[in-house]
Amino acid sequence: MSIVPKETIEVIAQSVGIPTLHADVSAALAPDVEYRLREIMQEAIKCMRHAKRTVLTADDVDSALTLRNVEPVYGFASGDPLRFKRAVGHKDLFYIDDREVDFKEIIEAPLPKAPLDTAVVAHWLAIEGVQPAIPENPPIDAISAPTENKRIEHVKDDGLPVDIKLPVKHILSRELQMYFDKIAELTMSRSNTPIFREALVSLSKDSGLHPLVPYFSYFIADEVTRSLADLPVLFALMRVVQSLLRNPHIHIEPYLHQLMPSMITCIVAKRLGHRLSDNHWELRDFSANLVASVCRKYGHVYHNLQIRLTKTLIHAFLDPHKALTQHYGAVQGISALGASAIRLLLLPNLETYMQLLDPELQLEKQKNEMKRKEAWRVYGALLCAAGKCLYERLKLFPGLLSASTQPALRSNKRVATNNPNKRKSSTDLSASQPPLKKMASDASMSSMDSAAPVAGTMDGFSAQLPNPIMMQASSSGQMADGIAAAGAIRRGQEGNHHAQRVSTVLRQAWKEDQGAGHLLASLHDVFGEGIFSFIQPPEISFFL
Amino acid sequence: MEDEEMEKKVQQYLHRKGFRLTELALQEERNRLSTTSLSDVSLSRSDNDPARYYDGYNKLRTWAYNSLDQYKHELLRVLYPVFIHCFMDLVAEGHTQEARSFFHTFREDHELMHSRDLQKLEGILSPLHLEEMDLARSLRENKFRIKLCEYSYELLLQYLQKTQALVMLGIINERIIFEVSAGQPSLISDDADVVALVGTSKDLAKQINQKEVHWGLLEDSVEERMEKALSDSDKTEAESKDADAEDNNKARNSLIKKSSEGGKQGGPLKKLKKDKVVGATGKNNKSEASMVSAAPRVKPELTLPATPVEVEQSILEDLRNRAQLNNLALPSVSFYTFLNTHNGLNCSSISNDGSLVVGGFSDSSVKVWDMAKIGQPAKTSSSQGENGSSQGEHLSSTSEGKRPYTLFQGHSGPVYSAAFSPFGDFLLSSSSDSTIRLWSTKLNANLVCYKGHNYPVWDVQFSPVGHYFASASHDRTARIWSMDKIQPLRIMAGHLADVDCVQWHVNCNYIATGSSDKTVRLWDVQTGECIRMFIGHRSMVLSLAMSPDGRYMASGDEDGTIMMWDLSTGRCVSPLAGHNSCVWSLAFSCEGALLASGSADCTVKLWDVASSTKALKMDDTKAGSTNRLRLLKALPTKSTPVYNLRFSRRNLLFATGALSLGS
Repeated sequence: MSIVPKETIEVIAQSVGIPTLHADVSAALAPDVEYRLREIMQEAIKCMRHAKRTVLTADDVDSALTLRNVEPVYGFASGDPLRFKRAVGHKDLFYIDDREVDFKEIIEAPLPKAPLDTAVVAHWLAIEGVQPAIPENPPIDAISAPTENKRIEHVKDDGLPVDIKLPVKHILSRELQMYFDKIAELTMSRSNTPIFREALVSLSKDSGLHPLVPYFSYFIADEVTRSLADLPVLFALMRVVQSLLRNPHIHIEPYLHQLMPSMITCIVAKRLGHRLSDNHWELRDFSANLVASVCRKYGHVYHNLQIRLTKTLIHAFLDPHKALTQHYGAVQGISALGASAIRLLLLPNLETYMQLLDPELQLEKQKNEMKRKEAWRVYGALLCAAGKCLYERLKLFPGLLSASTQPALRSNKRVATNNPNKRKSSTDLSASQPPLKKMASDASMSSMDSAAPVAGTMDGFSAQLPNPIMMQASSSGQMADGIAAAGAIRRGQEGNHHAQRVSTVLRQAWKEDQGAGHLLASLHDVFGEGIFSFIQPPEISFFL
Repeated sequence: MEDEEMEKKVQQYLHRKGFRLTELALQEERNRLSTTSLSDVSLSRSDNDPARYYDGYNKLRTWAYNSLDQYKHELLRVLYPVFIHCFMDLVAEGHTQEARSFFHTFREDHELMHSRDLQKLEGILSPLHLEEMDLARSLRENKFRIKLCEYSYELLLQYLQKTQALVMLGIINERIIFEVSAGQPSLISDDADVVALVGTSKDLAKQINQKEVHWGLLEDSVEERMEKALSDSDKTEAESKDADAEDNNKARNSLIKKSSEGGKQGGPLKKLKKDKVVGATGKNNKSEASMVSAAPRVKPELTLPATPVEVEQSILEDLRNRAQLNNLALPSVSFYTFLNTHNGLNCSSISNDGSLVVGGFSDSSVKVWDMAKIGQPAKTSSSQGENGSSQGEHLSSTSEGKRPYTLFQGHSGPVYSAAFSPFGDFLLSSSSDSTIRLWSTKLNANLVCYKGHNYPVWDVQFSPVGHYFASASHDRTARIWSMDKIQPLRIMAGHLADVDCVQWHVNCNYIATGSSDKTVRLWDVQTGECIRMFIGHRSMVLSLAMSPDGRYMASGDEDGTIMMWDLSTGRCVSPLAGHNSCVWSLAFSCEGALLASGSADCTVKLWDVASSTKALKMDDTKAGSTNRLRLLKALPTKSTPVYNLRFSRRNLLFATGALSLGS
C-alpha cells in the first residue's frame, strides 16, 4: 500500500542493529516513512524555490532536514544538479553515476584551476521596448509581420474599408544599409583582398544580419545572372552564399528558393567566364559542394528540395545536346550529394554515357583539343564519382566484419547441423543467381577453405574482395578482366562443395555485397584499372 | 398517528421552503430507520464496507460524465470535493489499502486542476497524518463552496435521491455548501474560482474582506508636492498665492480642505471614511493628471522619517526627467547578468537608482556591486581594506585579489533575500539562520542583527519611506520591524503555511504577504490585523507588487500565473497565464501604466495595465467579467532566469539574473 515496502523497513532496522523487527512494527512504520519522505521533499522544494532554482539539489534536501531538526545527510553536497542514470531493465529506477576514484589519482593530479569569481555585467536587454541585436541578447528569430495598425492607417478616407495589401515598408537601419553597401562593393570589385575575407567571416558570424538576408538573396540572384562572364565575381558571390549559410543566427530557409537557382546556374551553366583559360571547373566544384550542403542542412525541412535539384542535374547530364561543361557540372553536383545519389542516378546511365563520351576522348576522332580536354574532364569527374561510391561501399565492411563475427559463427553451426532443407534452398538460390553474382559468391566461398578458422568473419568481405585482388593480379599481369573473371569462376568451381556449408546466414549480407561486387565489376568494365585507386589499402593488404 | 402527521407536516414545510437537502436527509434517515428495523445485517455491512465509497463515487462520477453537456462542467465540480473526502474518510476509518487504490483509480480526473493538492494528499496514510497535515485538517474542518445553476442542482438532487447513494449524500451534505444561482450555468472559463478554497476560510475571507482599506497615497509626498508646485505656478488666483506666501504648511492644509470639499460636491464619492481621507485631489485642474495623482490621499499611521533635503532634490530631479511610459512607449531595460555563480545565487536586488546591485548567495555571503565603478580599475579597494580589517568579522572587503565587489559576511546560512533602503544607504539581508542583518553601504559594515524569527526568513523588504521593514518567514508569520529596535514591532500571524514574500503598500499603512497556502493577505501595519484575503492562486505565491496609485496589487506564482487584485474590493481584476515557469519578480512602472514580470523561463514580459484597468472601470457593474492583461512585449534573455526587476524613478527598468548554462 505504501511505496515503501515493509521489507525496506526491515532491512533498515537490521542495518541499525535491530535484527528482528516485529512484522506489525514494520507494517506500521512503512506508511509513516513515506509520509515523512514526502514532508521532507515538500520542504526541500520550498528551499529550492527560495534559492530561485527549478532543479532540486542535494543542498535543498539538507536544508529541509535542518528545518525539521534532523541531522542532514553529509557528503552529497554538489553545486550542480546531480546526473541520474536509468538502471538497465527498469522503467523507473535511477541511480547516480558515481565513479570510484583512486586516491593516488587525485593526489597526483595537478591542482584544478580556481573557479572564476562571480561578476556582474550590464547590457541593454531592450531600448525603448526594442531588443538590440547584440551578442548578449538571444538572436531575433524572425522578422515580425507588419503590424495591424499600419493597415488601418491606409483605410481610405471615404470610410469604406478596402482591403488592399500594401507593399510592406521594410525599415532598414542606417548601419545595416552601410554594411550591405560595403559588402556589395567588396564582392563586386575587390574580392581578392583580405578585407573581403574579413567580410566573409563577419557574414558567417554576426547575429544582427537577419534583416539583410532578403537584400542579399536578391543581390546574389541579380548579379549571378548579370555577370555570368565574370568568373571572379561569381566566385565571390558563391563565397557570400556560403558565409550566409554558415551563419547560425540567420534564418535563411525562406530565401533558399531565391538562392538555389543562382547556385545551380554556377554548376551547370554552359559558359562561365569569358576567357577560355578561366578556371570555371573550380567554381563548378565549389558550387556543387555548396548545393550539397544546403541539401544536407535543409533537406529534412523541404523534402522536395533534393528531388528538384537532382531532377535538374540529371536532366542536364542525360541530354546529349548539352555541352560537356554542363555534363561536368551535373556530374559534380550529383557526386557531391553523396554515394547513394551517385549509385541511383549516375551509375545506371554510366555505360550509355560512356559510349557517348568515348569518341570525344580519342585523339583521332575529336580533333578540337579544347573539346577533348573537356571530355577528359568529364571522364575524370565520372571516375571520381564512381570511385567515391565504391569507396563508400567498401568502407561499410570493416564494421560488418567485427560486428557479425560471433552471431554468424553460431548461426552457421546451427544451420550446418540441422537444417538440410534450408541448405538446399540456399544452394538453389545460388544456382539461380545471375552469373556475375554467382561468380562473386562462389569466389568468396573459395576463399573460405583457405581461411577456415575465420569462416564467419569472412562473409562480409569475401563477397567482393577476392574479386579485386584477383583482378588486380590479373591486371598487373597485363590480362584482360575477362580472364580474371574466368579465373574466378574456375576457382569458384573448385570451392563449390563448400557452398553447402555456408550461405543461408549470408543471404542478407549477399544482397548488399553482391551489389558491391557487381558494382566493382561493372565499374572496371567502364574505367579499367583506374578504379582501383579507390579501394582502401587496408582491405587490400588484409588479403595480400 | 400524531407522529406521522407531524412528520408529514415537517416534510411539507421543508418542501415549501425549498430545503431540499434537509428534506432528502430526513427521508434518508427515515428509510434507514425502517431498514434498520428490518435487517441489522445489511446496515452493519454497508457501514463498514470500504467498497461503498468506491462504488458510490464511481457511480456519481459516471453519472456526472454522462450528464448533459451544458451542465456537465458544473456537475463535475462536485466530484473533486467528494473525491478527496471519500479518500480522507477511508483513511480516517483505517482502510489504508482501499484508500490508496481509490485514490489512484480516480486521481487522473483532478490532476489538471488540483495536482499540487493531490501530491500532498497522496502522502496521507494513517489517521494520524490527517491530524498532522494542515491541508487535510483545513479541508476536513471547512466546507467547500460550489456555485451551481438551479437546474444542475436539481439534477444532482434527483440523482442522489433516485439512487439512494447514502455515502455520497452524506459527504455532500457534510462538506459542501451550494450557492445556487438562477439562470444559465456559468462559463467553463471561470471554473477556477468556483470551487474556491474551503468554506469557513472562505467565509472568513469574506468577513475579513468587508473591512475597509484606504488604498490612497500618502498625503504630502514628494510627488504631490512637485505636482502642487507645478499647478501653483500655473494658478494666478490671489488667494492661493497669498496662502502660499503666508505659511507653507497652512496653505497646504487649506488647499487640501478646499479640494476635498470640492470633491465631495462634484466628484463621485469614494466609499472611504471621511476622517481618514483628508484630501482627494481627484478634481485636478491639470488635464493630463496621471493615474497616480488621481488617487485619494491618506494620513500615515506610522510616524515617518524625514527625508533629507538633498535626497528630496534628487528625487525631484528624477521626477522631472521621468520618461512617460504607456502601451506605445515601452521602457528601456538594463540587464545585470551575474556570471560564474555556480548555482549559488539565491537572490538579488537593485537600488532605487540602479547604481548598486546586491546578490545573496547560498554560501552565506552578500556581495554588493557598485555599477558606477564597473569597468574602472578597483582603486578604492585599499582604503576599503583598512576599513575591513578594523571591522573584523563583519566585513571583509580585503584588498587582496582586488575584488570588483564589496563582500559582506556575517550570516551563517544561505541568504534568501536582500533589499536596499529607498535611498540606497542601507541594505537588509535575510537568511536561513533565521536572522535579518542590516548593513551600511557607506561604512561597508554590519550594523544590526535582528533576531526574532524561529525559522528561515524568506523575504525582507524596506518600506517605501525607509526606516521600517517587513520580513516573511517559514515560521508562518510576517513581522514589522524598525531599524532602531531589535525586537519586532508587529507580528502578523494567520497564514496556514510559509509566508514566502512580502511587499509594502505605497502608503506604508499596509503590507501584503504571499504564502505557500496559496493565498495573498493584506495586513494593517498599525493594528496587525489581516484585512484582506485574496484567494485564487493554485500554487505558492512567489512575488508581489503594488501599483503606484495604491489601488491594485499584482501577484505571481510558481506556475507562472500573474493575477491583478483590486485592494478595495478584494476581487481579482485579471488573471492571466503569464509565464511557463515561476514568476520571480514583478514591478509596476512609476505611473502604473505597465507591469513588468520576470520569470524562470528566461523572459521579461511587459503587460498593459492601464487599458485593462480602464476597461474594468467602465463595466464595473458586470461582475465576474475577467479581462486579461494584454501582453505588450516579451523580451527573452540568453538562458538567464530573471531574478529581480525594478523601475527607477526615471522609469528605466533594471533587471538581474544569473546566467545558467547547461541545465
